[in-house]
Amino acid sequence: MSSSTVSASGATPTQHLHPFQRRVDDVKTSKADINFVIMDYLITEGYPRAAERFAKEANINIPMEEESIQARVEIRRAIHTGDIDTAINKINDLNPQILDTDPALHFALLRLQLIELIKTCTATETSDIVPALNFASSQLAPRAASNPEFLDALEKTMSLLLFLPTENLKPELAELIKPSLRREVAGRVNEAILASLGARGEAQLRNLVRLRQWAEDKARESGRNIPPFLPFGVQVGPEEGESGEAMVS
Amino acid sequence: MFRRSSYASVAAGSAAGSSQSQAFAPTRSGAFSHLVNTNSNSGPQAAHSSINHPRHQSRTIDADGHYNSMSTSWGRAAPLPSYSSQFGYLNGFGGAGQDGLASSSFFVPSYLRGSKYAEKLEEAHRAKMAAQREYRSNHSSNAGSLSTSSSSVNLHKMVPSHRGMTHDIIERAPVQVDEPIAPWPTRWSDTDKYAQLEVLEDGRNAKFSGTQKSHDEAASVRADFPMPRQCGIYYYEVTVVTKGKDGRMIGVGFSGPKVPLSRIPGWEPESYAYHGDDGQSFSNTTSGKPFGPKFGTLDVIGCGINFRTGTAFFTKNGVFIGNAFKDLKTDRLYYPTVGMKKPQETLRANFGQEPFAFDIDKMVQAEKESIQAEISKVTRDETALVHELVSQYLAHDGYVETARAFSEEVVEESRALANDDSADHTQAYYPSVLHNNENIYFKLRCRKFIEMIRRCNELSAQYQPLVQSNASNGAKRTSVATDEYDFEMELDEQLGIGVHNNSSSTNNTTNNGTSNIPSSWSNNLNTPMLDTDTDISNTQTKLSHLTDETIKYGMELKQEFASDPRREVKKALEDTFALIAYENVERSALAPLLEKGGRVPVSEELNGAILVSLGKSSSAALERLCQQAEALVGELAEDGGPGAFINVKRDFLQ
Repeated sequence: MSSSTVSASGATPTQHLHPFQRRVDDVKTSKADINFVIMDYLITEGYPRAAERFAKEANINIPMEEESIQARVEIRRAIHTGDIDTAINKINDLNPQILDTDPALHFALLRLQLIELIKTCTATETSDIVPALNFASSQLAPRAASNPEFLDALEKTMSLLLFLPTENLKPELAELIKPSLRREVAGRVNEAILASLGARGEAQLRNLVRLRQWAEDKARESGRNIPPFLPFGVQVGPEEGESGEAMVS
Repeated sequence: MFRRSSYASVAAGSAAGSSQSQAFAPTRSGAFSHLVNTNSNSGPQAAHSSINHPRHQSRTIDADGHYNSMSTSWGRAAPLPSYSSQFGYLNGFGGAGQDGLASSSFFVPSYLRGSKYAEKLEEAHRAKMAAQREYRSNHSSNAGSLSTSSSSVNLHKMVPSHRGMTHDIIERAPVQVDEPIAPWPTRWSDTDKYAQLEVLEDGRNAKFSGTQKSHDEAASVRADFPMPRQCGIYYYEVTVVTKGKDGRMIGVGFSGPKVPLSRIPGWEPESYAYHGDDGQSFSNTTSGKPFGPKFGTLDVIGCGINFRTGTAFFTKNGVFIGNAFKDLKTDRLYYPTVGMKKPQETLRANFGQEPFAFDIDKMVQAEKESIQAEISKVTRDETALVHELVSQYLAHDGYVETARAFSEEVVEESRALANDDSADHTQAYYPSVLHNNENIYFKLRCRKFIEMIRRCNELSAQYQPLVQSNASNGAKRTSVATDEYDFEMELDEQLGIGVHNNSSSTNNTTNNGTSNIPSSWSNNLNTPMLDTDTDISNTQTKLSHLTDETIKYGMELKQEFASDPRREVKKALEDTFALIAYENVERSALAPLLEKGGRVPVSEELNGAILVSLGKSSSAALERLCQQAEALVGELAEDGGPGAFINVKRDFLQ
């Protein structure tokens, strides 16, 4: 881990500069490139209003008149709120091939739906688990039968029925009811939709962040002369909280 | 790293050539006149030259600094090699570069196209050409009178003639590139060779013209430059043009700069080769290891080094044979080297001027992909970081509307995601900058409004003296206007409004409050006012126009924030709107708000507030991140490490 402190770039010039820091300072970035990365991110990850504003404010074009963006935003929202049925329908409206050709993604969505059902039925007084059982046996079991990975995931999910509602789930079960799982699946769906349109599935910004991390790790590994810390000005502190989300303070 | 020396030493090293070259000065100038004309990018500079010898273009380009000055920077033993005969292959390989500049003798091997290293070298080449153009333009009369087609032909025999020129150029116009960038091999060296070995034609043919050698003697030649590590993978090919009468004692490989050239490559320390007579590989010893097939006449042998893995491989007729050597030292220079034993044996090299027999592009591409795959495996949930980077950049660079829209959308997303969780969970997804964003946005809009009022006020004040006497004070007003303009621009930047954005927004006042600053206003400020009669009426029109705009802006501002519950906002709004009530604000109690002296602290405070909220960084975090990524990749590229296979701009910013 690295780069967890506030940027020192505001330091006075009289301060002794690490030679590598000078090298960093000498790199010229172009606003156009950065703006491209921002626009690419807003479009790829589905922030249509921001993208529209940005096109105006930065005086650049929204690339390729991305018509899937609204649908992608709706699908993301549906997955985030746990309305998987709606999400699956919308995905199929867009292109039925997407789920047909990606059984793992389809299974992940159905499993989310099962988790939502389990959460709902275990939360009620009657604890009627029949709908959840029915859904599992009709939708997931046939897919899991031929795939050990799916089967394992299904079994784990079904064990939620035994423990919910409770405060202390085993970590591996707790993972299943966290929002981060929905976010992860929503991200995969978004990528799959974009890929089906022949677009780049992931925003370049994410790749750029990874590149920087990778390059720093490699440079340290091979003993290059770089400062012990390479802050870049955004503070994303130590990973806190059970979900592993970086807390921003 | 094998940067040997700077341009300074190049200059020093060629001092001898410099004095010699005096005699040939006219010839040189003549040669350069062609350079100017070969360059399609030279723009206006080309226009001054009336000399045009299209037919000789290709033959005179060898005066290009890429070859002569670069060569001296390698610290090779004197006498310095001449590259002046390097003209033959120009016609066919212009396609190597994307533009007219590069279509001169400069070429980019196919597998290096698009690499950062090739870009840098091209840039250096271009800078050199520009410097020569400049030199040329400074000496145009001289060149014009002396340039003849015969002079350019003669140039090739006057070996040192253009080295003095290089020296001059460097003194006159230091090349912008900070450090010399190691070039790749382009031909066999005319000097770094066994005496009886001839370098023919365009410098790519090596022919043994001596007599039969004894058992352990041979004739070898090295290329003009070592194989550059920055390539990541370097590769060249050799074709056996004519086979000797008996036997095929040919060695293809690479060697260090000091390895004796009277021996076949591979037999000496720091010498590595693949031999045609027995198909064995040799390094450091006269006894080889079984490696590949034998080779002879018309076979194409390829030799490459993967600097990342420290291995060397060979190919025959487009087929990969295998890795012959491993654990190559990373701190040595390796020159492409061939050696032969039989009279009349001729080898022709391809350093990338022509398509290769072996699909080296594919190999390099595979290497790139494996590194990209490695990068994409960096696992870390970067979602929060990415949100923060984006919103920080938007706020930092003043894309306020975008920042707001983005924050709203992110919050919406978080709420959807956390619909069944506690409220503080939402906080985790909500970047800190956006908390302050609303406030910054409000302050900026207030400032903008105050500026508009002040501007109105100033204009009306100007209007009076203008009417009274319109022939004085011009200079003073001009400076006021310029100052005003600068500040206005600053505000615009903070609000994310470029002047170019405003060009058609005069009437656009509906829902986008920040884009309604009339272009005429900005433009007027940009134009120093002249004391003419028309100026008076201009001022009048401007004033009424500006007043209208100001009132409109104020109303929007009020509408937008009137219901804001925050006390500071209320207070600021009250103060601001009080301004508009005064006929002559400069005499009011609120005048400090409008004073120029008072403006600076206010804007400083504003900037300060923004920067504090952004973690005190002077450049946006995303930009910083890009710079670091580029610099880190640069570090990883210098010695041929994985960074050599990454071009940040091409691979990540497009």
